[in-house]
Amino acid sequence: MLWVALALIAYAQTSVFDQTIREYAYGPTGWPRAICIGLIIGASGQFLSRLLAMRQGAAMPERRTDSASARQTVRQAAFFLLPFAYLYLTSRIGFYVATPFFIVALLLLLEVRSILVLGMVTACVYGIALLVFTRLFYVALPVGRIEALYDINTAIIMLARSGL
Amino acid sequence: MDSFLTGTLALFGDPLGVTIFFAGLLGGMLFGAIPGVNMLTLGAVLLPFTISMEPVHAVMLFSVIYCSGVFGGAITAILFNIPGAPENAPTCFDGYPMTIKGKAGKAIGAAVICSALGGVASAILMMVATGAVALWAVRAFGPQEIFALLFFGLAVSASIGADSLWKGWLSVFAGLLIATIGTDPVGGIPRFNEWTLGAVGFKSYYLSAGIHFIPMILGFFAVAEVFTQATNIASGARKRPPAAIEFPSMIEFWRVRFTVLRSMAIGFFAGVLPGIGATLAAFLGYSQARHWSRNRDNFGKGEIEGVVASETANNAATGAAMIPLLALGLPGGALTAMIMGIFQIHGMEPGPLIFANSRDLVWVTFAAMFWANLLIVMLGWLQTKTVVHILRVPFRWLAPGILILACVGSYALRNLMIDVWVMFVAGLLGYLLRRTGYSPAGIVLGLILGKLGESAFSKSMQLMQYDYTGFLSRPIAASLLLLGLVVISTSVIGELRGRGVASLKRSGEE
Repeated sequence: MLWVALALIAYAQTSVFDQTIREYAYGPTGWPRAICIGLIIGASGQFLSRLLAMRQGAAMPERRTDSASARQTVRQAAFFLLPFAYLYLTSRIGFYVATPFFIVALLLLLEVRSILVLGMVTACVYGIALLVFTRLFYVALPVGRIEALYDINTAIIMLARSGL
Repeated sequence: MDSFLTGTLALFGDPLGVTIFFAGLLGGMLFGAIPGVNMLTLGAVLLPFTISMEPVHAVMLFSVIYCSGVFGGAITAILFNIPGAPENAPTCFDGYPMTIKGKAGKAIGAAVICSALGGVASAILMMVATGAVALWAVRAFGPQEIFALLFFGLAVSASIGADSLWKGWLSVFAGLLIATIGTDPVGGIPRFNEWTLGAVGFKSYYLSAGIHFIPMILGFFAVAEVFTQATNIASGARKRPPAAIEFPSMIEFWRVRFTVLRSMAIGFFAGVLPGIGATLAAFLGYSQARHWSRNRDNFGKGEIEGVVASETANNAATGAAMIPLLALGLPGGALTAMIMGIFQIHGMEPGPLIFANSRDLVWVTFAAMFWANLLIVMLGWLQTKTVVHILRVPFRWLAPGILILACVGSYALRNLMIDVWVMFVAGLLGYLLRRTGYSPAGIVLGLILGKLGESAFSKSMQLMQYDYTGFLSRPIAASLLLLGLVVISTSVIGELRGRGVASLKRSGEE
């Protein structure tokens, strides 16, 4: 059903760009609409296949019921949300300031508790990113929009490139 | 032969050339083998530096990165289920299960030898027959044949990596739909960059440029794998795979000799065709190996033949992909497009005249690719002995590195944060799709071939004046379309007859 809904929504949205192209009769909508129809056929085939299988006596697969504890579920949700929070913050406070905190937070969510490991992994990953992308290849990573943090970001870049 | 020797002497007689050659070789292997970045990341960050380089060094550097990067991408595919490039995606299907079974060394060993075999054979073809092969490809393969080949390729590869045929096709269609975001190939009209759902509206200029496939690949494979492993760690289900460095035996290679030869032929064929490149070659090589194998039931569970097929085909396509680039100025993929950019930066236009105007440059490139593929055996053997030990490092220590490198890898392509957002959204989707039996590899295949397919279809329709029977008047196109239809029909009938039951039973047992 989800696939059919997705295909129908996409099909409906094609009307937004339904324009005529003089040299191409199918226009910009022909190909995407054909794909939407393909999606609907695929979803119908899947439904039919399941229906036939059920008729032939196969039991419907039971949905996985993970007996995860509430703590595990919260940790899992936090793990999925953390990268998005990191991205949101990176464009504001800069890659160089946000990254060490992100690495430490990830490690904590992955149940790393040793301070030595937290420090060493953070230093290694951050160090490699600085060395390879900032010092060696001059990749212009985001430096943020907040003035004080912008200065810290640029100072880290200067430090990484010092001696060149 | 004289030209090859001249090219080799020019390559190894110049200390700077040798340094750049080995830097490219090691760089490609390393960037390919580090989860989260790949040869395209390296290519993107190196491209600006090539302005100040000699043209011969710049082109040679990227050609060597292309060869070694395609091989390097197999290592992350095998060890971590994260392909370094789209052409390594089929390597995951059997490479990673081999790692789980403690056969990582065998899988990487097979990838090393077969990458080198495919690459060397392809480099020889490139040296012997660039002009003739390129002309044949262009004469015999018009838009109709390209469209028919893509149709056939998708027909035979659609179900790879998915729990059922339908889930495979749905994955491919999802990829094809994502590929339509951007602008249409004929009129340049923006598509899906503006959405209205009831009273809610949304418009994005970023979407007008389309969704780049690199963030999608990093998301579907690298980020989704980190999410999967993190979930396993949280539930205590993750077991560290054993780090075995046992190489495959000669008998094992002898058993797969026909697969190697078949995959080489597929790789050449797909590589030579403008725009098709190594990705379809790898998928076709894998699907044909599964089709003809005596052990086809073992495919997807850790069958060495699967690794052999995919890695031979994708490396055989590297040299072949240089043929249309050099002879006709038609790049076959992202990295060959960068090589074309280098030519243009230095005021040269790839095409027939390049063999007359820049003969030395062409032969140094040929020699570099040949030697790079040969050296992959030696360096790859050393790499196998060392890189397998990464498996001893706890995944929870590696995960932050993979995510940070993937972030930088996505961002560095176009310096856009939105690419990193796309990567994480794709990662979340990839995680959910994997759990439900869909194929992230199928989505990526659809995404990569979608634009090419639409472009070929629209050109075909214009040329044939919208008469579909025009396909039948072209023997190659008609045969490929017919074969594709036969494959689809037989697999649908097979699925409806019994496989649906089997898959449901399997799912029930799980």
